[in-house]
Amino acid sequence: MDESRIAFHGPLSQLVHKVETGEMVPKLQASHAPPCKFWTAFQVINGIRHMAPVIHGPKGCTYSVGASYKMRGCEYRGVPLEPTSCTAQNEADVVYGGEGKLLEAVKEAQHRYNPELIVILSCCCSGITGDDVEKVAQMAAEEVEARVLAIRSEGFGGDFRSGYEDAFRVIMQLMEPRREVMKGVINIIGAREGPTYTEWTEDLDEIKRLVHGVGAHINGVLCGGCTVEEIRRAANAEMNASWCYDWGQKLGDLMEERFGLPYARTGQPYGLRATEEWILGMAIPMGLEKQAREFIRTETAAVARETGILRRCFEGKTALIEISDFPGPIRALSMARMAKEFGAHPVVINLHPYTVKERLPSIKFFLQQGEDPEVILTQGLFALGTFNASADTQGDVEMIAADYDNALYLGSPARQPGVPQMNLTTQTGYPQYGYVGIRNMARLVQSGLQHAARPRSPLFRKVLYGD
Amino acid sequence: METKTDQRIAPQPDNQSKCHDPYLRCALYGASAACLGITGCCVLSHSPQGCYQLVEAAFGWQDADYTETLTLCTKLCEAEIVHGGEDLLARTIREAAQLTFPLMFVVTACGPEIVGDDIVAVCEEVAPEVDFQIVPVQCAGFRGDQNQGADIAFDAILKHLVPPGPAPRVPRSLVLVAPHANANPTWMGDLAWVKEVLQRLGATVACTLTHDTAPADLARIPTAEGCLVLSHDAGQKAADTLSREYGLEQWCRGLPLPIGFANTRAWLTELGQRLGAEQEAARLIAAGEKQVIEAGRRKGLEQSAMHRAPTAIVADATVGIPLVRMVTEDLEMIPTLVCLRSGQVGAPELLERELAELDLQPRVILNADVFQVKAALAELRPQMVLGSNLEYHAVAEMDIPYPFRLVNPINQFRLTDRAYWGYTGMLNLIEYMQNDWLQRWRSKGRRYHARW
Repeated sequence: MDESRIAFHGPLSQLVHKVETGEMVPKLQASHAPPCKFWTAFQVINGIRHMAPVIHGPKGCTYSVGASYKMRGCEYRGVPLEPTSCTAQNEADVVYGGEGKLLEAVKEAQHRYNPELIVILSCCCSGITGDDVEKVAQMAAEEVEARVLAIRSEGFGGDFRSGYEDAFRVIMQLMEPRREVMKGVINIIGAREGPTYTEWTEDLDEIKRLVHGVGAHINGVLCGGCTVEEIRRAANAEMNASWCYDWGQKLGDLMEERFGLPYARTGQPYGLRATEEWILGMAIPMGLEKQAREFIRTETAAVARETGILRRCFEGKTALIEISDFPGPIRALSMARMAKEFGAHPVVINLHPYTVKERLPSIKFFLQQGEDPEVILTQGLFALGTFNASADTQGDVEMIAADYDNALYLGSPARQPGVPQMNLTTQTGYPQYGYVGIRNMARLVQSGLQHAARPRSPLFRKVLYGD
Repeated sequence: METKTDQRIAPQPDNQSKCHDPYLRCALYGASAACLGITGCCVLSHSPQGCYQLVEAAFGWQDADYTETLTLCTKLCEAEIVHGGEDLLARTIREAAQLTFPLMFVVTACGPEIVGDDIVAVCEEVAPEVDFQIVPVQCAGFRGDQNQGADIAFDAILKHLVPPGPAPRVPRSLVLVAPHANANPTWMGDLAWVKEVLQRLGATVACTLTHDTAPADLARIPTAEGCLVLSHDAGQKAADTLSREYGLEQWCRGLPLPIGFANTRAWLTELGQRLGAEQEAARLIAAGEKQVIEAGRRKGLEQSAMHRAPTAIVADATVGIPLVRMVTEDLEMIPTLVCLRSGQVGAPELLERELAELDLQPRVILNADVFQVKAALAELRPQMVLGSNLEYHAVAEMDIPYPFRLVNPINQFRLTDRAYWGYTGMLNLIEYMQNDWLQRWRSKGRRYHARW
């Protein structure tokens, strides 16, 4: 391996240490930018039915999130056309302030859309000029029928993660105090808008099946198409379980702190062991251990053939798991755990220091579970310029793959690593969670090995990498 | 000509409504889209990271190639908003010097403009240290919508990148303005058709503002004889500047863009006259009309659904205005609702003239937002809606049978550029409408299971 192309090579814990001590700077290059706080806050509240947003900002912020999330809802999730409204701030609003206009806009939103909930979101303009969106929300609440909330979500005010977290924190205002506990009922928390590309419906379907399989019920998926009523009574659920530890953790902690509502701290249900942990993490606190163990026994037996395939295919191999848009970092770590479970040596490629910083609680949780996979960061990851970076990283991944005996690549089909390859993008529509996921994993790994000798498409390679 | 503007057109200016569900992005997007039409350039967004998504969207709209065009972002955070982001901007420009490109546009978002970052001064200060040209474009989102953003960028391009006139004229050469301010999802097909007919008529294109425009092309602008604005939504200001600064005459001004027989005929006829190529223009028209008629005869032209069908048109002005005449005259539909989500100076008057000439009295909503459109559709219940994916979903709960997805956003993948202008363009439009019409009649369920 050409060491000059490698920026870091070591265990995950060492990478985390380097980021925490500042030895590796957790900063993305100028050619890479995730969404801002406003986008992600909107993404959360967009997952609530009969909600009218009033975005206190110019049209650009509004149309952009509408085009992304509203259209996806209509096209792929059976959601009717819902509003994405704003105050359309202009130069005069920036100079003179726009609180009065905002109040009028909220009243107009009530009249136009008859929503159950109105959420005001601030943008950069209103954040800088100091419009008090929370105060306006309070005033508006007295004049309209719907509940009115405000989220300070100006884009410069935090990274993408803070938008999710602040939005979850704000929607807790809708929750009534914990009184009569709904026995055997859980909330699935940490969803947004969704399921989105990265959290597609079939994974949620499997989560629901696991819950129902132990005899429990779901109050609501917060906020993946839930109702205001489901949020209102959420504190009365017997416990919370996460859709994804990374996204659910904040809301879980907050609800536990405020309502004493237990939260099942479990990772993503990839593979047999993590799925078992997920089920028991939810079932044991609710006194459903017996049913859960029976369910696990039956389901495990039903996928015995597939787990056999997975063991045969992974045993003795090096599983190179590259992080890209799909799979993202937390899924990649969950896959690393699954690969290890089935006998492979996992190597996670390109877990950016920025990602480590942004997802530190989840990564530490992963380490606490005893998982500390080998991590390789390539220089291409830090290159400026998306195309060059992508082409550089393709070369880096080929180099790494050639350096390991018996390597198996798990990740995007965009990559051409020169070794057997599992297409683990989440856009393929095949669930990866739970027992249904195990079936798909077995199919994918078999296919990867069976077709490893086939040449890759020059068309794809030239489109993606230009060579 | 008697017009009935006051009675028929009920403008819905922004200030009448405090709550908007917009069809348009902001100036930052529009400016970025205009800049990204210059090949090989780098667009640096001086903004928080969320605004970068707008630049990325603009990149897609311009069909830019990521192997040659680059986008960067300063990713402003609270610290830069409090203390200013000029240092970060300068640092990012210097960092970009490691890459190879001839030209960088620095586009600014709301945040840095409100806090007063002097990007012009930063660009001037850093320029001697780098080997590329830097053009500042102040296009904060609050300055206007995407079309106004395009105009802001054109202004910056003309000011910074075009040499001063006068220059020796190249006869029959033209500058094409604002081709991308067009809601045809593959507007590049319209531009290609324009270039093709200009060539047939003996004209040359000096420069396109902007699409696949080499930086060197901009130097030819002062040598052009005239300009064509390829949009009813943006570009008029640039055309005025070209006229004022370089003496370029605007051709086809006041004519609807070439959608449908009559509009295309009028447009080509004027071009033929301007270029002294009347006969070739007449040949183009005759051959084109024959092509459409023969295609309809040989492949089948759906008429039953269209004949006198009450119809809504929901589009930008570029597609929406010329479509009024095409659907009325060529397809025998009756526009009962015209919602224009955008339109630059002169567009309302043009629409008004068209309606008067066609003796149509639809309800007209200008600067329409999604709510206004949905409310009007619910009230008027037209039989057909020529619009976007938004209207397609908006009418799902109404008894409106035929939503046709013609304009952006359509959520349909097109790998080839399909024109709406000219004669093949007319066939494309009819084809999309007919396919969506058939969609209505497709069986959605099955009455029984097959035995095998």
